[in-house]
This record gives sequence, C-alpha cells and structure tokens, in this order.
Amino acid sequence: MDLTLSPAEEEFRDTLRAWIADHHPGREPDGDEASFTFRRDWQRALNERGWAGLTWPTEYGGAGATQIEQAILFEEFARARAPQLANVLGLTMGGPTVIAHGTDEQKERFLAPILSADEIWCQGFSEPESGSDLASLKTKAVLDGDAYVVTGQKVWTTYAHHSKWCMLLARTNPDAPKHRGLTYFLLDMEQDGVEVRPLVQITGEAEFNELFIDGARIPVENVVGGVDNGWRVAITTLMHERAGLAFALQARVQVALSELADELKGTKDPLIRQRFAQVAIEAQVLRLLAYRGLTSAAKGGEPGPEGSLGKWLWADLNQALTTLGLDARGPAGQLVDDVWTYRFLRARANSIEGGTTEILKNIVAERVLGLPRA
Amino acid sequence: MNFELTEDQREIKRTARDWLAARYPIARVREIALDGAADDTWDEVVELGWPEITDFGMVELAVVAEELGASLAPTPLASHWAARLLHPELEGRGTVAMWDEGGTDPAASTMDGPAGTKIAVPAAEGADVFIVTASGGRHFAVPSSAATVEPARALDPTRPLSTVTFDGAGEELSGDHFGRAWHAIAVAAAAESVGVAARVTAMSVQYAKERKQFDRPIGSYQAVSHACAQMFLETEGARNVVLWAAWALDHDPDAAFMAANSAKAYASDAAVNVCRSALQVHGGIGFTWEHDLHLFLKRAEANARAFGDSTWHREQVAAAHL
Ligand SMILES: Cc1cc2nc3c(=O)[nH]c(=O)nc-3n(C[C@H](O)[C@H](O)[C@H](O)COP(=O)(O)OP(=O)(O)OC[C@H]3O[C@@H](n4cnc5c(N)ncnc54)[C@H](O)[C@@H]3O)c2cc1C
Repeated sequence: MDLTLSPAEEEFRDTLRAWIADHHPGREPDGDEASFTFRRDWQRALNERGWAGLTWPTEYGGAGATQIEQAILFEEFARARAPQLANVLGLTMGGPTVIAHGTDEQKERFLAPILSADEIWCQGFSEPESGSDLASLKTKAVLDGDAYVVTGQKVWTTYAHHSKWCMLLARTNPDAPKHRGLTYFLLDMEQDGVEVRPLVQITGEAEFNELFIDGARIPVENVVGGVDNGWRVAITTLMHERAGLAFALQARVQVALSELADELKGTKDPLIRQRFAQVAIEAQVLRLLAYRGLTSAAKGGEPGPEGSLGKWLWADLNQALTTLGLDARGPAGQLVDDVWTYRFLRARANSIEGGTTEILKNIVAERVLGLPRA
Repeated sequence: MNFELTEDQREIKRTARDWLAARYPIARVREIALDGAADDTWDEVVELGWPEITDFGMVELAVVAEELGASLAPTPLASHWAARLLHPELEGRGTVAMWDEGGTDPAASTMDGPAGTKIAVPAAEGADVFIVTASGGRHFAVPSSAATVEPARALDPTRPLSTVTFDGAGEELSGDHFGRAWHAIAVAAAAESVGVAARVTAMSVQYAKERKQFDRPIGSYQAVSHACAQMFLETEGARNVVLWAAWALDHDPDAAFMAANSAKAYASDAAVNVCRSALQVHGGIGFTWEHDLHLFLKRAEANARAFGDSTWHREQVAAAHL
C-alpha cells in the first residue's frame, strides 16, 4: 500500500497546476450559447497542450497517460474551479468506446475532432418507453443499400442541440432476443430526418432534449463493434460513464465541500456539524473508492461493475451535501440564491442519470454479490 | 498510488485468518463466550508475536484487527494493543481503563490521578497493567495489585468488561505520543468493525441465496438484495477508509488524525447498520440465541461505543473543518 504520488506524478501535477493558473479563463458567462462557446474554447486550449485526451493513445492525439494522471487532472481542475469541457460525452464515453470497439478508419475519422471540440457528441440511448430497461428500445434501423435508415424517438439527450454526432443505439434485428438485436451507430445529427427539441429541466435550463428521428441515414461504416452487437458496445459506454464520471464528480464534491466548510465555519449547531462531518467522511470514502478502482483498472481492463458502487455513492453523497447547503441557509432557503438552490435542484437528477440508483443496486446485487435476478 | 496490500501484509493476513479459524471456530467462541470455557491461547498469541504488532506498522495492525473482528475471537489482544500504544514499554498483558462512571467524552476524564472507579474496562481479569486516564489528559500505568476488578454484565459476551477501582498507586506516563496512540486505537477498533461487517455481509448474501419463500430465493426480492448491496457498499467503504487512516498514521501525519476519526465513525456505523440489516434479512432465525448473528450484532454495537462513538468522532471531524 502506498497512497503517495510518484515523483513523476507529482511533477505532472505541478506542471498542470501552473498551466491551469496561466490559462484559467475566469468565470463562465451566463446563457447557453455563451457558456458553450466558453467551454469549447477552454477544451481547445487544453487540447493544444495535448491533455484533452490525456489517457488516449498518442497516435490519436492523446497523451498516453495513466488513469492516475487522469485522476490528478480531474482533481486539479476541480481545485482551480476550472470550467467544464464542452465535449464531455465525447471525451468520457464516445471516444473510449471508439477506441475499444471501433475500426481503424473510425478512430482516424472520429477521435481528433472529439478532442478539439470541433465535433460535439451526445448519447442517444434512452427512449420514452425504454429507460432502465434500455434493451427494450424500439428505434429501428433498416439496411437500405450501403446505409441504415433510422426511425424512432430518443429522449433526455444531453447536449443534442450542440452535437454533430450521436451514439445511437437502435434495433437492427426485431426477431432476436432483446439484447441481441441492437446495433451501436454513430449518427450524423446534421441531416434532415433528425429533429432536436429542447426540454426544460427543473433548474430552468435546457441541457437535455427530445430527439425525433424520421428516415435519417447512417452509412454502414458508422456501425461500431458489429451489427447486432450493440449491447456489448453500449455496456462499454455505460461503464466508462459510471467510472469516469464518478471520478470527475468526486473531485467536484471535494470543492463544494470546502466551499460549504467556509460558509459553515464556526457554526455551533450540533446537527449541522454532525451532518457536515458525515458528508465530509463520505466524500473521503468516495475518493478512496475511486482510487481503489484506479488501482484495479491500472492492472488492465475496462472498468468493472464496481464502478456502479462509486456512481451510487456519489449520487447519495452529492444529494446529502447539496441538501445540507440549502438547509444551512435556514429560512433563506425559500429564496433562490446563486449557488445552493441550483446545486440542490440539479442534484435531484444524480440518482436517475447514468443509471438509477435502484438499477445500480441491482447490478451490485447480481454481478458482484451473485444474488439471483429479480 | 497503490491500494494493494504488500506481499508481507497479505501473508500476515493469511496467517491471522488461518490461525483464528483453527483456534476460534464459531463453536469455540460460543463455548468461551456463552458457556464459560477458558480462553487459553494467550501464550500462543505471544509466541506469534502479535502483542507487539503495534511496533510493526498500522496497516499490519489493521489487517490483523480486521481478521480478529471477523472471527469474534474472545482474546484480550485488542485491549492489550490499546494499552501498548499508550505505553510502549509495557511489560506483561495490559488493558485500558478510560471511562469514568457517567462520563461520555472519551478524551475527558475527571479522575484526579489513578484513584477512583472506571467502568467498561475490557479484559480486566488477568491483566497485569492498567493504563488509566485522568484529568488534564494524564495517563497512569497501574499494576493489577492496585486494582480491584468487579466483573460487569457486558452487552458483547465475547469481550468481558469490568468495573475497576484503583487505589491511587501507579506511575504517570510521559511523552508526546498520546494523541497518535488514541487515534491508532480508534483505527484498530474500526478495523475490527470492518471484520464484523464483512463476515456478516457474506453470511447474509449466502442466506439470501439459500432461503426460499414464495418458491423463490429471498435474494431475488429487491427489498432483500438491495439491503445486501447496501451492506456491501458500507463494508467496502469502511475497509478503504480504515486502510487509509492506518496508512496515514505512519506516512501522512497531516491527514492522519482526521482520517482516524473518519474511520472510527464510518466503520462503527457500517458494522452496526450491516448487523441490524442482516437480522432483518435472516428473519426469525437471526433473532435466536442459537444462531450466531446475535454475537456479531452485539460485538458491532459494543465496538461502536468503545473508544468514542460515531457521534463523538464525527464531531472531531467537524471541528477540524469548521
Ligand atoms: C439530467 C439527465 C440527463 C440524462 N442524459 C441522458 C443522455 O444524454 N442520454 C441518454 O440516453 N439518457 C440520458 N438520461 C436518461 C437516463 O439514463 C434515464 O432517465 C434513466 O436511465 C432512467 O430511465 P427513465 O427515466 O425512463 O426511468 P424508469 O426506467 O421508468 O424508472 C422509473 C423508476 O423506476 C425504477 N425502476 C425501473 N426499473 C427498475 C427495476 N428493474 N428495479 C427497481 N427499480 C426499477 C427506477 O429506478 C426509477 O426509480 C438522462 C437523465 C437525466 C435525469
């Protein structure tokens, strides 16, 4: 056991810290377009330094770095309150999926513009009738010459309104069992037959959308991982989502926690003190779980079902933390403030997005503990 | 950055587990704890060198303590470690007398020197030396000749407790190691709780696979399977935070005390939550004297209150942040 950084890792952290200090663009502007442009510029700056795809292979514009270094990057970004990256779904899910299952041509075509944020990605998995039971999805893709013709509806599609590419899961074989008839496509969003309608969330923002697909065409070369093999490919995406997000987000939890500590400094209220301490302890538990995951990931392979533990714990913790932030304001919590109102509301989705907490518990029970299926 | 135990640490863990399984199968634990049979392994424990493992390293100590908790071994080893951390030159077998009658703060005895009564003293019978806390953060080493031991009724039958009256004789201990020692003691206790939580989680998962109702294993019902998943989450979380705290006590002094408070708070709660939930998963059988679950539950509940409960340790964490 050794929980210190190696000299090389420390050096990377220091270089990174100095770079962030020099390049930090300041406070994010309000408004969807302005904030998007701001995040894209920030990602481009990072990519010019070679760090947007830190762990990606160097031949695809990555830096070939370790998962530990990726973790350091997340922590330093959070510490410095650096902006989000514009292409977060492409970077954390789309890219890794193409790297794991894509053809050489696909890697050549798709990876570089993900890093440069020239092409933004979104994830078209969920449908109105298929959420947790994702494999029951109905959007269908039918081969017509050298392209698939797609018809159906997706929903909750985050950033679809900015996206060039959509990781689309569609049914190619209606006769096969539900998990075996799906194919993973890369859908070009810039075509007739794809319509994006924003959905306003409880925070008042419209990050996610409805996606209506009516006769859109996807050339066969945009199938990832083989026809009717989409479920396996989708699992890769979801595992990266849970493992990767849990890490990036745990770093942000630490920052929100230290902000809350500043606000609560000196409080005598024993209940608030107890709740704060519990959240602080669970934040450590989450950080350690994430690092422990890295230790096993460093030994090779993809993130396993254990990543579900981190995503689940993060959702519980972030909800407890943001609720405490709101409660600590007392009666002023009835009024909208600049920080905690938004965080509290946004955190309500944490136990739904990226797999609900109930589904994650099913995964832990069945795949980790070996309990019989419900 | 590496969370893996070293080969040596894994070897220590294996040795501890094998030895404990051989000497303290649960039937033997029951004979000692419930039927009054004598615990007779101390000489062997001394031969294995475990009383001195406190000199070795905190991760090593935590690894053995976890196994100790998982086995419910009714040995006085843990209370001896506590005494030895406070008094490294201790000769013979030691234990710690820290709780004033009616006291609630583990760090604030009002006893004026080594004269007076302490409650809930573990493994007092047969101890050679008592480390006694007194007002002003003082510690005294008191020989058994100056102590009158009155066995008490312990919630946890695997760990006898006594009320001990001290007549005033004893030598004051000096040094600047007490802060670290108390945090190390908390981590060792937390590690025992992890052992309890891990074993009870495994028992519950096993039972949920075997027991059938309505023609299906009960583990196929989410009310049961999600309870098991929750046990697993808390057990894993507790083990990580305990190992971090143990490591920090030897390698990262800035973080160590807060890590230790975090470990004791989280692991105490985890073991208690796991055992209470396990009782529910087991249904009526888990409520019987005959089933072993009550022994684990009582150890978890008692251990959660030893060396400061989770509320007290959380307050230390709050004080460090706020
Ligand atoms: C902010 C946000 C962003 C999102 N972004 C995207 C995106 O970019 N792309 C995308 O594809 N999707 C996205 N989603 C969708 C998300 O993945 C789904 O909402 C989620 O999988 C749940 O599906 P559902 O909403 O249909 O709820 P349902 O599946 O209908 O679930 C309703 C309730 O039933 C429970 N439930 C369902 N099945 C079971 C079961 N077997 N056992 C126990 N309980 C069960 C659930 O846990 C939940 O509590 C996003 C969601 C949110 C909130």
